[in-house]
Amino acid sequence: MKPRDVVVFAVVTMGLLLLPAFYGRANYLLHILVLSGLYAIPAIGLNLMLGYTGLVSLGHAALAGIGAYAVALLTVKAGLNFWLALPLAAIASAAVGAVIGALCLRLRSHFFMIVTLAFGLILHSVMNNWDSVTGGAAGFAGIPRPDPIGFAAFRSLPEFYRLTVVATAAVFAVQALLVRSQFGRVLDAIRQDEILTAFKGIDTTAYKLAAFAIGSGIAGLGGALEVSYLRVAAPSSFDMVESINLVLIVVVGGAGTLLGPILGALVFVGVPEYLRLASEYRLVIFGALLVAVTLFARRGIAGLFAPRRAKTA
Amino acid sequence: MMLALAEQVFNGVMLGAIYVLVALGLMLVYGVLRVLNFAHGALVMLGGYLCQFVFSHVIASYPLAIAGSIVALLPVGWVLERGVFAPLRDDLQNQVIASLGLVLVIENLVLVVWGPAALQFRLATTQVLVPFGPLRFSLQQFLVIGAGLACVAALFAFLNFTKFGTAVRATAQHPGAALVVGIDVGRVHAVTFAIGTALAAMAGSLLGPLFLVFPQMGDGPLLKGLAAIILGGLGSVWGAVIGGFAIGIVEAVSTLVIPTDYRDAVAFIVIAGVLLLRPHGLFGRTTRYEA
Repeated sequence: MKPRDVVVFAVVTMGLLLLPAFYGRANYLLHILVLSGLYAIPAIGLNLMLGYTGLVSLGHAALAGIGAYAVALLTVKAGLNFWLALPLAAIASAAVGAVIGALCLRLRSHFFMIVTLAFGLILHSVMNNWDSVTGGAAGFAGIPRPDPIGFAAFRSLPEFYRLTVVATAAVFAVQALLVRSQFGRVLDAIRQDEILTAFKGIDTTAYKLAAFAIGSGIAGLGGALEVSYLRVAAPSSFDMVESINLVLIVVVGGAGTLLGPILGALVFVGVPEYLRLASEYRLVIFGALLVAVTLFARRGIAGLFAPRRAKTA
Repeated sequence: MMLALAEQVFNGVMLGAIYVLVALGLMLVYGVLRVLNFAHGALVMLGGYLCQFVFSHVIASYPLAIAGSIVALLPVGWVLERGVFAPLRDDLQNQVIASLGLVLVIENLVLVVWGPAALQFRLATTQVLVPFGPLRFSLQQFLVIGAGLACVAALFAFLNFTKFGTAVRATAQHPGAALVVGIDVGRVHAVTFAIGTALAAMAGSLLGPLFLVFPQMGDGPLLKGLAAIILGGLGSVWGAVIGGFAIGIVEAVSTLVIPTDYRDAVAFIVIAGVLLLRPHGLFGRTTRYEA
């Protein structure tokens, strides 16, 4: 990692943290940025799988839902402190992700995609129908905002905004460190040519499983923060449409680029708000954008700025 | 209890006929073009809307409305094949992602044009109840099963007894070799996608009068169709037929023992189970590392 990149990262994060000081009254802007961050976090998890390892998971939102309902149950039903519940929620998502991953990874390419879709639907069906635990279709209400730590409280919008910035930056940093590590290079190799990688004596299934579990854990973290912000966990936040939205965010932003998921989330949440689009037009446009990216701009929005990556396979 | 079971089995066969139509379209397009088209359900839905539109605004004849829906949907399929899937040939991951984008485009365009409210599509002639042993079913249900079986027969005959059908099978087996023996592979692809589109229009037209016509009406059939071709093993007509009917019957019968809320999950638990135990479907052959 170049020192310059670290400096840019620190400056941008600090700038975003200071934003409420200048735009303290611009609650709408902060709300949009919080929502973008809450989409960006699970999208970063999916980017590790889809962008870097080549695992197209079509049930990612459901794994975010595991973290969301875990944090809801742990804080409301078990009365746990939010900061204890949050890592447990991420671990729960990673564990469920590991189990589902272990099953799905027995299959390849299109079969893999369909089974991830199937597991996403099954998980959503449980969230939607297990009324006594999840609150069913009406959702799980009364989830608290995070408990204060010392001076830092997270109740108001600017406070939660700062938390979202820190969380997104932290997850972004984890992504950057992971993909540039030895581990990340193996994932990259698997995406480019799994058979060749296996021939190097690498247990590719174990690496793919690890990517699946880490991606799921990150998704769970995002889901937990999301329901803490919205104060309610609704199954519709974790359905197939949301899973497809996450794919859309990653691919349009730039799959396999560090900034892709964040750019994708900002565009996905911000642009329709800016243009005041009705939701059906928004999805027409993003659907068309998704098709266009696959046809003409494989590296998404991030790829338009970045230098061309060396051509491989 | 036996009567309830018999009724649900019949309902399952009827649902299964729809799933078979969807599964055949998916399977043909996958088998020949190597495209896993998630937008197939959106085509089914569009077929339902077009049929309803023709029936209530152009000509009040159900068979002609179905024909109209098929004719109107063909250009849509042609645009998808030429504009999106042909340029992405052999790039499975991006084809799937693009087809997800197409789902968003088609479903939400329909929302813009027809609005979010479900449309009524009531056919007086096919609502008539027909006694069947001690039970009574609507004529539409018999029609669905009959039309489904007729399409299977027609497709089977086309693939096995016509010269072009042989070309389609040859292309499915090996596009390169097909090209060498002088088959116009591009044309085979276009015709195959057109057949898939026509099957989608047919499924949508049959589904519309059974329930309602609404923007998400294709989602369920798409997922069950995917389930069916997986159950039957990708790439065989009979696999898709058996898979489709099996999913329909399991789903309908399961409502007797499991809360109906979980009925969609049932099909997927079956699929996940089958894929994990027999990764190439009940009738599929094993090949390793297919791209």
